[in-house]
Amino acid sequence: MFETAPMTPAIEIHGLTKRYEQLTALANISFDVAPGEIMGFLGPNGAGKTTALRILTGLLAPTAGSVRVDGLDVASASLQVRRRIGYLPEQVALYPELRVQEYLAYRAIIKGLAPKARRGRIQAVLEQCALTDVPRRLIGQLSKGYRQRVGLADCLLAEPKILILDEPTVGLDPHQIRQTRELIVALGRRSTILLSTHILPEVEMACQRVTIIHQGRIVAVDSPHRLRQRLAGARIIRVQLRADPAAAEAALKHLKGVARVSLQGHVDGGAAFEIEAAGDTDLREDIFRLAVEQRWILRELSQVQASLEDVFIHLTTTEDGGAT
Amino acid sequence: MSNLIALTLRELKALWYSPIAYVVGALFLLMQGWVFWLILAVLNDPRMDPSWTMGQFFFGGTFFYWFSVLVTAPLLTMRTFSEEKRTGTLETLLTAPVTDTQVVLSKFLGAWIAYVLLWASTVVFFLALRRLTPFDWGPILTGYLGTWLVGAVVIAIGVLASSLTRNQVVAAVVAFVTLMLFFSLGLLDALVHEPQASETIRYLSLIEHLREFAKGILDTRPVAFYLTVTLACLFLTGRILGSPRGRS
Repeated sequence: MFETAPMTPAIEIHGLTKRYEQLTALANISFDVAPGEIMGFLGPNGAGKTTALRILTGLLAPTAGSVRVDGLDVASASLQVRRRIGYLPEQVALYPELRVQEYLAYRAIIKGLAPKARRGRIQAVLEQCALTDVPRRLIGQLSKGYRQRVGLADCLLAEPKILILDEPTVGLDPHQIRQTRELIVALGRRSTILLSTHILPEVEMACQRVTIIHQGRIVAVDSPHRLRQRLAGARIIRVQLRADPAAAEAALKHLKGVARVSLQGHVDGGAAFEIEAAGDTDLREDIFRLAVEQRWILRELSQVQASLEDVFIHLTTTEDGGAT
Repeated sequence: MSNLIALTLRELKALWYSPIAYVVGALFLLMQGWVFWLILAVLNDPRMDPSWTMGQFFFGGTFFYWFSVLVTAPLLTMRTFSEEKRTGTLETLLTAPVTDTQVVLSKFLGAWIAYVLLWASTVVFFLALRRLTPFDWGPILTGYLGTWLVGAVVIAIGVLASSLTRNQVVAAVVAFVTLMLFFSLGLLDALVHEPQASETIRYLSLIEHLREFAKGILDTRPVAFYLTVTLACLFLTGRILGSPRGRS
């Protein structure tokens, strides 16, 4: 067995394919997650995220390809892999007839925690997940937000090196969402996290890198920042001027480095334009100089940053799904 | 081992906290008490054949006995896998570091222990009877032993049925029908005249086995048969749990 050298990726997915009778849920997916990294795993509903996570946790077997967690093969060393992983499924399913503490005690045993360590760990995760006010409550009587946190507490119980969280903030109220995100960021300092979600601010806030999948294929793996830049490869500048619209449009078109000028509308005696730059150049100063030369009155001059949402929509709406 | 104990305790807790177990338990005791009283009345009839004993009637001698066995098993096992599949807790369970074997065994043990306890509670009838009249405990003990062994078979069939569906009612119906067919194998004896076939059928006949147990005869052949069927059902359950469809 290849032992864990310092640089072994925490998660190593290679050529992963999952086919059902007629449907290909995952087609040749490969990506790595470095130790200590928080990797966002994005995709529209039905893109294959949950399938990939289920394979990663050993719940499903892949049709082809290999998955290694902490250097261990998921297929052949399933139990060791499961000991290293804390998995929060999309639907956090718990036993409603048990009390919170009772449930965690049960999970602590089957996760193989040493008897002496159990009590301390349960107390620790109760505190971490803000559950200290409900340890004796029946899980069935808890609100959705609390149940989600019980699931997360269970996930953290054995201090796993790798956390796999499938949409951890779905169904929480804004306050709880914020707490959960803060917790994820805090956890990211100690463990590797694969965070599946389609809530983009979450990714932007927590993740160092993002893998976007669409229709079972990877369409992008990069940092949120670089992804935004890539789409904004053509930078867009918004200008509002008091000038003759036709003349202004013509003058702007002649400016060096301008790829496209589009008139957005007339606003009391002036016009609004969106200007697309050809390369990665900042045209704002050129436009300002032009306005001074032409004696236009400049009302607005701003560069529009593409949001991660734009990137996501861009990457996952193309018909073939293939913008790479 | 600690996994198996923790998982089995979870199964027993699930039963303990569910209304089904109480309804089944209460009706079971009510029926057994009523049957015990009926048998006593029959045995006290002076026209009754004196060679018959309480144990022979109580264990397998009446319709009520088989009814209790064949009905309680599906009720105790129907939720084992179906409920976990329906609610999704099976996913949480199977992504924990537990083996499929441990999961299957714990489901079986949980339901079987409940079944054993249910029958064990009927010992009070015999204890009460003992105060009134002396009798031999031997056949009573083998009667219980036979009942518990048959229990292993019917519970294993119930667990297998539950692993096939996420609907508890479907699981119960499948288990019940399978058990009825299995039970009726012994009745085919009346239809065949070939001695060889007849002997084979009697080897599979639950009624025939219980008759022996209730007489105090501990034959290893039915014991081996029960253990084989039980293990085969649990093995199949494990295979189903290992298949993609069985895991969600």
